[in-house]
Amino acid sequence: MKELVEAIAKALVDHPEDVQVKAVEGPQSAVFELRVHPEDLGKVIGRQGRTAKAMRTILGASSVKARKRMTLEIVE
Amino acid sequence: MPLILVKDGQLDRSATAEALRSFLEGFLRAARWDLKVAVKTVDPAAAGESAETAEVLADFDGADKELLLERGAEVLKALEHLSLKALRLDTIFQERIHLDCCGYRALRLEELRMTARVAAERVKTSKQPFRLNPMSPRERRVVHLALKDMPGIRTESEGAGEERQVVILPAEASAAH
Repeated sequence: MKELVEAIAKALVDHPEDVQVKAVEGPQSAVFELRVHPEDLGKVIGRQGRTAKAMRTILGASSVKARKRMTLEIVE
Repeated sequence: MPLILVKDGQLDRSATAEALRSFLEGFLRAARWDLKVAVKTVDPAAAGESAETAEVLADFDGADKELLLERGAEVLKALEHLSLKALRLDTIFQERIHLDCCGYRALRLEELRMTARVAAERVKTSKQPFRLNPMSPRERRVVHLALKDMPGIRTESEGAGEERQVVILPAEASAAH
């Protein structure tokens, strides 16, 4: 699912080459640490955090399908 | 990724549809959800007055459709938000792009119009304002449009952010101001 976070983030930002996703995976859970160009931080968070919330909602649905709890951390 | 989707103040429907299809297909591949998406364009001039404002429509179908539709289509709405951000369109053009799954949202909008009409009839009889539940900008617009030609009442939006709601008022209340 790392590719999913990458695909969404790259579509949102102005500097897709600076998108980095690090997956910390356990047997039943995974944490995705998303790093973007400093100028793009607002783009992945969104007004009132709506974009970050939308990405987490998508990951939540993927968690159901994958039977694995997946969370997103946006690293500043 | 610069996208030129607006030309001379008009939405370039085919370029927008292509960009949307590309984003959604990439998304489905990465997510490995068992869904297909069909993107079509609608010419508003040809669609007639009663039509929705949607000019670019993406409709999902497939075995994983419940993933999109659960909890009031929460995931579908999230995906719509991300799609609009990815397309980098101005707010005025965003409402012309709709994501749907097996006609769910079209049905939901029809329900909304019916609810609005029933509430408006009540306001006409009771002469008391009626507040609808908080709604998204798109849903509020549907309510305002559904009631704009109804005699005896008028509509306003009140509140801020996620709490903003449509209020239906008796028409004579406007003369009192």
